[in-house]
Amino acid sequence: MGLLRNIATRRLWRRLALLLIAGGLLGAAQPVSEYQLKAVFLFNFAQFVEWPPAALPRESAPFVIGVLGKDPFGAALDEVVRGETANGHPLEVVRYHNVGEVRDCQILFIAASELPQLEGILAALRGRSILTVTDADSPALHGVMIALVRQEKRIRLRIDLQATKASNLTISSKLLRPAEIVGSGS
Amino acid sequence: MPVARNWRLFLMNDGAGSTRARRSAAFLLTCALLGAMGSGRASAGAQVDPPTAGDLKRLSIEDLMNLDVTSVAKEPQRLLQAAAAIQVITAGDIRRSGASSIPEVLRLADNLQVAQINAHDWAISARGFNANLANKLLVLVDGRAVYTPLYGGVLWNVQDCLLADIERIEVISGPGGTLWGANAVNGVINIITRAAQDTQGLYALAAGGNELQEQAGIRFGTTLAPGVYFRAYGKYTGLDREVTTAGTSADDSWHVGRGGFRLDSEPSAPNRLTVQGDFYSVAEDVVATGGASLSGGNILGRWTHETPGGASMSLQIYYDHTYLSQPFAASPAAPPFFSGFPAASLKDDLDTYDLDFQYHFAWGTRHKLTWGLGYRATRESDEDLSIVRFTPTALNQSLYSAFAQDEIMLARSVYLTVGSKLEHNDYTGVEFEPSARLQWNLQSTQLLWGAISRAVRTPSRYDRDLLVPSGLINPPPPFQFPTTYLKGSPDFVSETLLAYEVGYRAAIGPKLAASVSAFYNDYHHVRSTTATPTTAVYVFPYPIFFQNNLEGETHGLEISASYQMLEWWRLHAGYDLLQEHIGVRPGEVDATGATNETADPQQQVALRSSMDLSGGMTLDAALRWVDALHINNGPAGGPVVGIVPSYFELDSGIAWHATRSLELSLMGRNLLHAYHTEYGFPSPTREQIGRSLFARITWGY
Repeated sequence: MGLLRNIATRRLWRRLALLLIAGGLLGAAQPVSEYQLKAVFLFNFAQFVEWPPAALPRESAPFVIGVLGKDPFGAALDEVVRGETANGHPLEVVRYHNVGEVRDCQILFIAASELPQLEGILAALRGRSILTVTDADSPALHGVMIALVRQEKRIRLRIDLQATKASNLTISSKLLRPAEIVGSGS
Repeated sequence: MPVARNWRLFLMNDGAGSTRARRSAAFLLTCALLGAMGSGRASAGAQVDPPTAGDLKRLSIEDLMNLDVTSVAKEPQRLLQAAAAIQVITAGDIRRSGASSIPEVLRLADNLQVAQINAHDWAISARGFNANLANKLLVLVDGRAVYTPLYGGVLWNVQDCLLADIERIEVISGPGGTLWGANAVNGVINIITRAAQDTQGLYALAAGGNELQEQAGIRFGTTLAPGVYFRAYGKYTGLDREVTTAGTSADDSWHVGRGGFRLDSEPSAPNRLTVQGDFYSVAEDVVATGGASLSGGNILGRWTHETPGGASMSLQIYYDHTYLSQPFAASPAAPPFFSGFPAASLKDDLDTYDLDFQYHFAWGTRHKLTWGLGYRATRESDEDLSIVRFTPTALNQSLYSAFAQDEIMLARSVYLTVGSKLEHNDYTGVEFEPSARLQWNLQSTQLLWGAISRAVRTPSRYDRDLLVPSGLINPPPPFQFPTTYLKGSPDFVSETLLAYEVGYRAAIGPKLAASVSAFYNDYHHVRSTTATPTTAVYVFPYPIFFQNNLEGETHGLEISASYQMLEWWRLHAGYDLLQEHIGVRPGEVDATGATNETADPQQQVALRSSMDLSGGMTLDAALRWVDALHINNGPAGGPVVGIVPSYFELDSGIAWHATRSLELSLMGRNLLHAYHTEYGFPSPTREQIGRSLFARITWGY
């Protein structure tokens, strides 16, 4: 019995050795990092949303994507917008600690850290043509225009059309078609 | 004649069995090899590096929405939404732990009691009741329940997979009956494997050492067509025997071969389809008893669909077969009154068919509703032996269930989840398992929760249908000897639990995460053993039969914290306190004085350190201290309690990532003692667990 076992084991190892060699040819496909993907979504919003002319930057001023609160992107967002333009303006990332600092800004990403102050933040932005985006996973997101919702391993878009209309923003059908449309209900 | 213990000592030892297991593993490896050769060449050119920002910007919105993202970094945040005593074991934790089987992996959950009985058997429970035949835990592998209706517990010696295929294990201490139904009394373990698209390419593993004599595994994943992913795996493990208290070799070696596949496909964007299956063959030895063989397989299909409105539904169907052959040693005859029993093996054949449907949708802005329907049919047959039998020998049972749950937003960041499961089983009829859970997200980084839940453990075959003959030969009248020694009861009802829990979870700054949960559990109708009264002419207290005469409360505390002290050094600590006051209902008796259910440590401490050193080296260590167990000898033992001493043990491992794909490691488990005991009533055949050292090489992910 012992002899049989030894022979079987030796064969097994030889097969494994072979496999290791065969495996050298292969690698595994790598998924995308979550915030790299979300950064690309923000970049796309700059292309597929139409701002009223008054809300666009003046002359050569940059088109600003703001991040309010604890920035989850690391360098990913800066990397995505580097050298890119929107409506002919160079894209720039600006980070804010509180909503009072938000001035010339076209897209504002509200980080999960700001969820407790969300109502105050939205009140402060009311009437200004700033596209608000968040990825905080909470059903209590009334009034944020676009939510980047994580479903299993994918990112889904949820767009609040009432909120975008109230701020005079027009969303391209390229964004609307794959998105889930909600009313803000308030 | 500790029948109960025998159930754990599932059995055996024939060389033929181990050759069989080995042969199936070898066959699998051959298949996988051919697969690797054939499709490897075809897909080698199709492999992609992680896309750059530039690549991603060229994709359409639809394409972006079809990309998968990694989830590791989000785990702590998502945990902050979970209003339960949940701990998550990640793929990274598993890889670094040096665990080679699922029970070893479960040592990473602070909220479980895990005790190794012998080379291949384990006692695992949450919040106590880790008795022989622990029966208050529900374990799911990709949605498939793996406890056996034979006794309501889990045969840990057959639960395994390629550990590298596990995405995460969610360990919930506390009841989960509202969602998961009967048996989710003290806890739920959810083992979730990676989707086939996440296991593309080749993975191979080989390990060898003193206790873990040999382990080899291979998986190959490929893309069959756009959006259709497939993987197949095979794994073989051989464990050496341990040593008994008496210092003799315990004949409990273990050999298992297993294999399986998973296919994930997205026929259209809102539809996903998963088909997966496994099979295994185990040959093991049991000390002083003989050889056991266990085998089985399953196949599962799941379809999920998302509607444009954000609702989702899933339909899951599976078939599972398990077979076990458990030996009982011969009991020599002792004339004139004991007839004795020949050595024999109990064979149990179980088929399970399960259907489950769930629907999830938002109603208005404040309600998230989930409802579901389930049906399970089991066909079980047990061979009639002179030493043990189940009556009826073959039993078909049906289980119907329905549940509904509503998550209500009461105010901003305050949620109430209420729901109930309704279940109909053939033994006790309708059971209901309601719960109410309140969750308050203090900030995005802090969560306070509380819950009240009811859960039930419905009767198993063991409680109802067991019959162990006494082997006694009737003496001359007027004396009378019982013909039955141990017996289930047709009036055995469900054990019930009413659980009160509170918990707090917080991410304190970016480096520290902590959770605390406290519980008070109120149990009724817990299994007791009643002895038959003796008289001058009826001199033995047999049969002992099962009743529901135990009740009482347990309470405790579970604390765990992780601290990323330096970028390369992570620390983790866990502490468990458990106090059990289970007694006999006034006016009733229990043959073991209510000590048979609660062989649990009052306290447990775990400390872990994970270091990423330079040069691709990692160094991990896990120290645990487990309090003494007070353990009873089963229904036959009477109120005699034995001790398993408290112990410290240390697992440690060093690994070198030689290349992106190649990892070489040296692992040590239970390093502090040459041998130590974790479980079992003191006896010469109680087993000790030996220090284990092994080397491992893995390729791929």
